[in-house]
Amino acid sequence: MRNSYIYTILGSALLLGTACEKEIDLNLNGNDNKLVIEAVLTDTKGDCVVKLSRTKDFAADNSFAGVSGAKVQIYHNGDTTLLTETTTTGVYAAPELSGSGGNTYGLLVTLGNEQYTATSYMPSKVPMDSLSIVEEDLFGDITKVTNVSFKDPAGETNYYRFQQYIRGTKVKRYYVRNDDLTNGNDINARLYILGEDDDDHEYDINSGDEITVEMLNIDAAVYKYFFSLSSSATGESESATPANPVSNISGNAIGYFSAQTVERKTIIVP
Amino acid sequence: MKSKLLLIAVMLTAGKAMAQQKHTISGTIKSKAKGETLIGATVRVSGGGGTTTNEYGFYSITLTDGKHKLEFSSMGLQAYQSEFVLRKDTVINISLEDESVSLGAVTITGTSTKRSLSTPQMGLEKLTTKEMKNVPVLLGERDAIKVIQLLPGIKSAGDGNAGMYVRGGAADQNLILLDEAPVYNASHLLGFFSTFNSDAIKDIAVYKGGMPAQYGGRLSSVLDIKMNDGNNQDFGVSGGIGLISAKLNVEGPIQKDKSSFLVTGRRTYADMFLKLSSDSSLNNNTLYFYDINAKMNYELGEKDKLYLSGYFGKDKLGVGDLFGLQWGNTTATLRWNHIFNNKLFSNTSLIYSNYDYTISINSGSVNADIYSKIRDYNLKEELQWYPSSSHNIRFGINSIYHTITPGQVTTSETSQINARTLEDRYSWENALYITDNWKMSDKLSATYGLRLSSFSILGKGDFFNLDKDGKILDTLHYKSGDFVKTYVNLEPRLALSYKLNSTSSLKASYVRNTQNLHLISNSTTSSPTDKWVASTNIIKPEISDQYSIGYYKDLFGGDYELTVETYYKSLQNQIDYRDGADVNTVSNAIESELLFGKGRAYGIEWLFKKRVGKFSGWLSYTLSKTERQIDGINNNKWYNARQDRTHDIAIVAMYQVSKKWTLSANWIYYTGDAVTYPSGKYQIDGQTVYYFTGRNTYRMPNYHRLDLGATLQLKKRKRWSSELAFSLYNAYGRENAYTITFEDSKEDPNKTVAKQTALFKFIPSISYNFKF
Repeated sequence: MRNSYIYTILGSALLLGTACEKEIDLNLNGNDNKLVIEAVLTDTKGDCVVKLSRTKDFAADNSFAGVSGAKVQIYHNGDTTLLTETTTTGVYAAPELSGSGGNTYGLLVTLGNEQYTATSYMPSKVPMDSLSIVEEDLFGDITKVTNVSFKDPAGETNYYRFQQYIRGTKVKRYYVRNDDLTNGNDINARLYILGEDDDDHEYDINSGDEITVEMLNIDAAVYKYFFSLSSSATGESESATPANPVSNISGNAIGYFSAQTVERKTIIVP
Repeated sequence: MKSKLLLIAVMLTAGKAMAQQKHTISGTIKSKAKGETLIGATVRVSGGGGTTTNEYGFYSITLTDGKHKLEFSSMGLQAYQSEFVLRKDTVINISLEDESVSLGAVTITGTSTKRSLSTPQMGLEKLTTKEMKNVPVLLGERDAIKVIQLLPGIKSAGDGNAGMYVRGGAADQNLILLDEAPVYNASHLLGFFSTFNSDAIKDIAVYKGGMPAQYGGRLSSVLDIKMNDGNNQDFGVSGGIGLISAKLNVEGPIQKDKSSFLVTGRRTYADMFLKLSSDSSLNNNTLYFYDINAKMNYELGEKDKLYLSGYFGKDKLGVGDLFGLQWGNTTATLRWNHIFNNKLFSNTSLIYSNYDYTISINSGSVNADIYSKIRDYNLKEELQWYPSSSHNIRFGINSIYHTITPGQVTTSETSQINARTLEDRYSWENALYITDNWKMSDKLSATYGLRLSSFSILGKGDFFNLDKDGKILDTLHYKSGDFVKTYVNLEPRLALSYKLNSTSSLKASYVRNTQNLHLISNSTTSSPTDKWVASTNIIKPEISDQYSIGYYKDLFGGDYELTVETYYKSLQNQIDYRDGADVNTVSNAIESELLFGKGRAYGIEWLFKKRVGKFSGWLSYTLSKTERQIDGINNNKWYNARQDRTHDIAIVAMYQVSKKWTLSANWIYYTGDAVTYPSGKYQIDGQTVYYFTGRNTYRMPNYHRLDLGATLQLKKRKRWSSELAFSLYNAYGRENAYTITFEDSKEDPNKTVAKQTALFKFIPSISYNFKF
């Protein structure tokens, strides 16, 4: 319910039509050069990828160099798989490794003398019933919105994440939800793209476009990670307490390890 | 503690020892023009001594028999002198005439309107109607709360923010009372306006320190607002039309001299202009508020008077049918004044207060209403006893029953959202207090007292035990009527004043306050949907101890006043949020998102004021520091509270050019709030996200702004008078930061930029006010 920002801006703009934006210089420093771990294991072979990188200064460019030379292992019930570094620096993969719902997996990253560990539970898969495009009146404009339909299981707490690709481009939004208020219901999850400028058409959805959605079932810790990431670390400062997201990795690193199920569907917009 | 009680007992009996024949003069002081009772009017006895009227205009003073000369006076009214020989108990009711018929050309003379150097009360700010009337304000809507924020130690939370920070306190630590009823959200329209219609206000007092014992329940300040009673002499109508709002005030006698009524209403109509817009993203939207103040009083007899007053306000905001938000306060106060005898005055109040909001979401996939409220039933009984000319004792009880509905989600049949109701929370707040104003000598005075407060958390409901990470260890179930927990606190209050000479004095005070209602907000900007939460087994009462010393000097025959006050505040059980806290969607255990620790605030405040003459105004400067230390935040080190501002300056000037024109200007400057910015960045899933190294370690850009105003008095007829008020808000167009966001540059996606949003550049306005 992050409405305060929207309504305040909206309110003042409505009232006075005077809000104005500009870029400013702030002296931000002390990024700690911290290790960033993005580790994913799914129930599909080929998806198991661990990316290592480091934090950078705010004023630096957005090319994030990978961290090579690490030993990356994923283990389950005594079986340990060593990931190998791919041709892309800092990206480690195990193309043959997949997991299955109901199991807990461990991650161990060794870099120099430091060790970083995490565990993650792969929930059982909630199937996606359908992927469709609906039209909605958003702020006075009829807008095409991606809609994911599924049936939330009543007997358990479920956490979901979605990734949306429009014409092959991944949408830079974090879509994460739980079933706190929707347990056991037929869900239509709308993947809204809000906050775009009027003259920005990168994510406009038009007839004939190819839309792909990945629906992920994640565990509570990964949900907490992405929820806190999207509410407090994406640069929109309306949160009273912007902070690093709550990570499931122990050791002096940030990021997450998610054992998750994945289901992909692609449609052509009618 | 025993020794303190003993001390009070000794003090209370100290005034009784003298044996000369004495009698009591008592009565009510009113304004002649409207019959309004006057609060804080002065009764001065030539040859020393005096008293002031209470909040109902009543006074009582006991003097030795013989010849006396009394002077009755009040700000802006002609003083009245009376000479007589006192032989028996006497009732003197006085009506004071307006000082000058030509409004505006007021040159206040005489000693009557000077501030009192000898009352121990410190940290008290009062506003005159003249100040309220002439200080330029946004969109021409006169707003006492905005003017108060130009005084030292009282800081606005910024453009588009409703709250105010008093002496380092958070926005929820201010007790805001409208005719004794607590107002839980004192803002309209996203903080651009306060809920207080200045046409309906009789008196405003802000206590930022040294609160007398009759006030309690919030740590940082008391904002005590009293509504007009209504004119009991003549029927009158006044009103105003501005760019975005209009208002009307009707008052008159029910029985001449005895009883009267007042009804005041306001409505903004900015949204009507939206309808004219061709932009479909604007013309479907709703954005307005209205409010109504109503009051009536009735004299039951010479010794009994009834007052009934109420406030009702509503804000509505909607984005098409997609999203709606409405919120509002309702208060009602029934009061009965009874004069037992010329030394004992009683007031009984029954008070109702309610604040609620409803969020409606109506998108294609989600249909739900979320409703939340806080409701109080409140009983107060206070006795004021004037045993001798050197003592003025108040004692009373206060009992409040709070019901908080944290969130009810209701949905339509087809909605995919499940209806849910978070448990209502019940609590019962009680206080017992006694306070004495003791004039020890011509030079030394004291106000001292005690407030015993208790807060009981009642069932039914579930409460929790948490581990240090905020995980629920176990759930405790309570039945209806169960006492979950009772917190008892003893709050000593002490204020002393010492008159150094006829133009200067020193004052010192100590006050302890406790607070059991806490506002939970996860946003840097205040929102009507911020949650009020009562203390629980885990959320302990917030406690503040404030020590303060002040120096007061009248200069140039009293035309200028200098006030310097310094304070140190130590705070316990302060609340902040865990990293990544989610205070909106959590179920019953909101405590799992919170952290608790201590705070400290200290500062020095300067106020240099010219009160009288054609040119008047003030210069206010505050130098202060506000910090917190909470385990789990910033490696358990002291860190700046959000509201920490090093420098805060306000300059206010008003100039009476002629009988027609009054010009005014104010300029404010303050250090940007402490804020959390990223120190670095990284990528997750191909998106840039930001890396933080600590809470509140950076600062918002410094804020400054100049406002200009002018009032033109139009030609007066016999009963009709009107004026035009012009204002220019933010005259030099400073873009003050409202929020700062971080994003990949649109021009160069390989760069990240910090982007500042400002709400206003220049806002000119004009409004027309009339009276007949």
